[in-house]
Amino acid sequence: MSFLTVDRLNQVYTDVYTNEHTVAIDDVSFTIPAGEFVSLIGPSGCGKTTVLNIVAGFVEATGGAVQLEGVPVAGPGPDRGVVFQDFALFPWKTVLANVAFGLKMNGVGKAERQATAQEMIDLVGLSGFERKFPHELSGGMRQRAAVARVLATEPSIMLMDEPFASVDAQTRRVLQQEVLRIWDLRRTTVLFVTHDVDEAVFMSDRVIVLSTRPSQVQADIRIPIERPRSWTDMHTNEDFVSIRRELMGMLGVEGAEVAP
Amino acid sequence: MSVQTTAKTSRPDPPRRTGTSAAARWRALRRRPLVTTLFPFAVVIAVWAVVAELGVFPSAFFVGPATVADSLLTSVQRGILPAYIVDSLTRLAVGTGVGLLVGVALGFLIGLNRHARRFSWPLLLFFQAIGDIAWLPIVIIWFGFSLTSVTVVIVYTVVFPLIISIVAGLDAIPTNLLRAASSLGASRWRMFWEVYVPGALPGLSSGVRTGLGYGWRALIAAEIIIGTSGVGFMMFDARRQGDVSHVFVGMAVLGVLWYMTDALVLAPLEKETVERWGLVEGIGR
Amino acid sequence: MTMTHKIRTRARVESAAWFLSPFVVLLAAWLVAIPALDVSPRTFPSAPAVWSALVDQTAAGELIPHVLSSLGRVFLGAGIAVAVGVPAGLLMGMSAALSTFFSPLLRFSVALAGIAWIPLATLWLGYGNGAVVFVVFNAVFFAIVYNSMLGVRQTGTSLLRAARSLGASRWQMFWEVYLPGALPNIVTGLRVGLGFAWRGLIAAEIIATSTGLGYTLFLARQYYETDVIILMMILIGVLWLVMDRLLLAPFERRTIQRWSGERKARA
Ligand SMILES: Nc1ncnc2c1ncn2[C@@H]1O[C@H](COP(=O)(O)OP(=O)(O)O)[C@@H](O)[C@H]1O
Ligand SMILES: [Mg+2]
Repeated sequence: MSFLTVDRLNQVYTDVYTNEHTVAIDDVSFTIPAGEFVSLIGPSGCGKTTVLNIVAGFVEATGGAVQLEGVPVAGPGPDRGVVFQDFALFPWKTVLANVAFGLKMNGVGKAERQATAQEMIDLVGLSGFERKFPHELSGGMRQRAAVARVLATEPSIMLMDEPFASVDAQTRRVLQQEVLRIWDLRRTTVLFVTHDVDEAVFMSDRVIVLSTRPSQVQADIRIPIERPRSWTDMHTNEDFVSIRRELMGMLGVEGAEVAP
Repeated sequence: MSVQTTAKTSRPDPPRRTGTSAAARWRALRRRPLVTTLFPFAVVIAVWAVVAELGVFPSAFFVGPATVADSLLTSVQRGILPAYIVDSLTRLAVGTGVGLLVGVALGFLIGLNRHARRFSWPLLLFFQAIGDIAWLPIVIIWFGFSLTSVTVVIVYTVVFPLIISIVAGLDAIPTNLLRAASSLGASRWRMFWEVYVPGALPGLSSGVRTGLGYGWRALIAAEIIIGTSGVGFMMFDARRQGDVSHVFVGMAVLGVLWYMTDALVLAPLEKETVERWGLVEGIGR
Repeated sequence: MTMTHKIRTRARVESAAWFLSPFVVLLAAWLVAIPALDVSPRTFPSAPAVWSALVDQTAAGELIPHVLSSLGRVFLGAGIAVAVGVPAGLLMGMSAALSTFFSPLLRFSVALAGIAWIPLATLWLGYGNGAVVFVVFNAVFFAIVYNSMLGVRQTGTSLLRAARSLGASRWQMFWEVYLPGALPNIVTGLRVGLGFAWRGLIAAEIIATSTGLGYTLFLARQYYETDVIILMMILIGVLWLVMDRLLLAPFERRTIQRWSGERKARA
């Protein structure tokens, strides 16, 4: 019972000025069953963002199809919640208004949407910051707000594009654990794009590896590490270490491990 | 695009030292915004007074602050200056109001509609280049030496910077913000009010500043050339009679009026919106 | 290589065609509307009338001298303003005390610059070239000084520290750090100042001289020569666009956009 089906996706970009064609993704297929946390990794520029944008409905694929619960995807919609790398919070709205935005767009009454938004804010640990504007928050807090905004509309799948790439290393680990904690409560299906191997292995049930451009699915690896997971014991976990090594090999960064 | 929108240098104040010496107190005083703003003007007026007192320039060309203050007082007492100020401000307000209505509507239309933009952008650049004051002669032929002529010129002046800034503001809205809104289920109408309108506000506010900056210049020119009443008329009338002190009065009044428009209207509006949202830093402060 | 080149040339031709097409539409509407609505030439001229005004004026040798005297005034006034204003602004910016002191004064002066000085300029310098050049100078000068100063103040602290720790002398700091650091702001200042100056020029020529585009424009009004008026307006627009495209835009492209990698909507 596959929940999200990505079938023979192909994307060719055409430069409007030079008319040059770039085959970003050649032929990418995979499926995600409901409730699974799946990461998409691959070298920079291989088309990860493109795949995610097509699933989100921001970009129309030049070939192939995406189906969510058997229905072809056409255009963006609240059934697929997107967490952006640059947060994409509305600067002119408070944290509370940002989180309540999706509910407002879908006609939920004021009292109800504020209550739900408050619940989500508490869930991501932003209580007390409801009336702040995004520019008054740290990077990590902004990403928490962005996650809360997506959770509020109860999407059937969450799409995250390198959501922690612009926060510092320390905060990143905290956020990774936080997102897993929240995910564990609801088990929403997640498609998570990253170029960070450690992050992918730590977070996911499955890791899909894309090859260099024009990309195809190079590998699809199951992560059997028990949940709940925590960074404290991860580096001594045998599965973690061996899968990490395997993935590093595929991405061509073995050298990094030999280096002193 | 205008000078006033350039963000200020924000350097954190050094930690306050608790000194009781005169120097320390002076330093603390100098950090008060009102003092840093007014003190330089006090110095300039003092220097001006000394130069006038020494008689460096003949008094037909240059008079001191005392003489200017005197002329200011008499023309206020006679009621001429207040009446002229009201005339000028009314013209500016009417012209700016109409200009805002037209400019904002066209700005959003051109900014959001691809076809409208493609067709009108070249024309826009060209008509903006002609410049308001060049329209004065033909507008006078059409409407005579009247208030309508002045208003038309001011509207023309305000509209173009507004449109161009609003379009630039709309273009500057990050793609991901639009994507986020549509992915959260925003309809076209909702997108407009919740994303495009607030997103265009920084552009709008800089457009209003630029527009007003050009607008009152056009007003002064029109008042000089059409010449029936208003601050510009007063200055040029005084110049024709060789009354230099009233020319100075006019310039001081213009400066103060601009300052008040900025401090009482534009700055508070911006403080509540674009500054509060962190979209721009302290406009014009 | 040549293939891409060809496509690029075609794209450029296409975009030029798009740029010109609204003007073609406008011209066509003008050609049709004037006879169709039977508009009096005292209200609005027909397109052929404006064309023959252009031909007549050029043939009579009147047009070129007026254009040249207007342009001469702009270049002289703006040139002096840049030559004096940029160094003054940079030096002020290099001192925290000076820039705090001059900041409110300059903001006030920028707000006042240009047209408001016409009465005073004609009083001090009499009617004629001097007063017009002064108005142009004044419009550009304050905007340039203020923005040069701001530019220096906005140069990042870490950049200054880096330069100093690499051993730059004060003189080197000026040339290598402050000046290039402030260039984007200087260009902004020049743009704002020239915008005020161009309007100031037209107004001052209407009021204070007997040559130049503004003068010709206003003189034509007395005789209801709308063809000359419209011709002058078109010339004023074209000259400004040419100045903007040939002088300001390339300069801006080479500094602001090149260094920041940002492309702004044309304003
Ligand atoms: N809008 C676009 N127009 C043209 N080329 C694009 C566009 N978006 C992405 N590309 C190209 O497609 C390839 C894949 O990009 P992307 O999906 O962003 O990769 P990733 O997210 O894996 O780094 C890159 O070579 C990029 O230059
Ligand atoms: Mg990417």
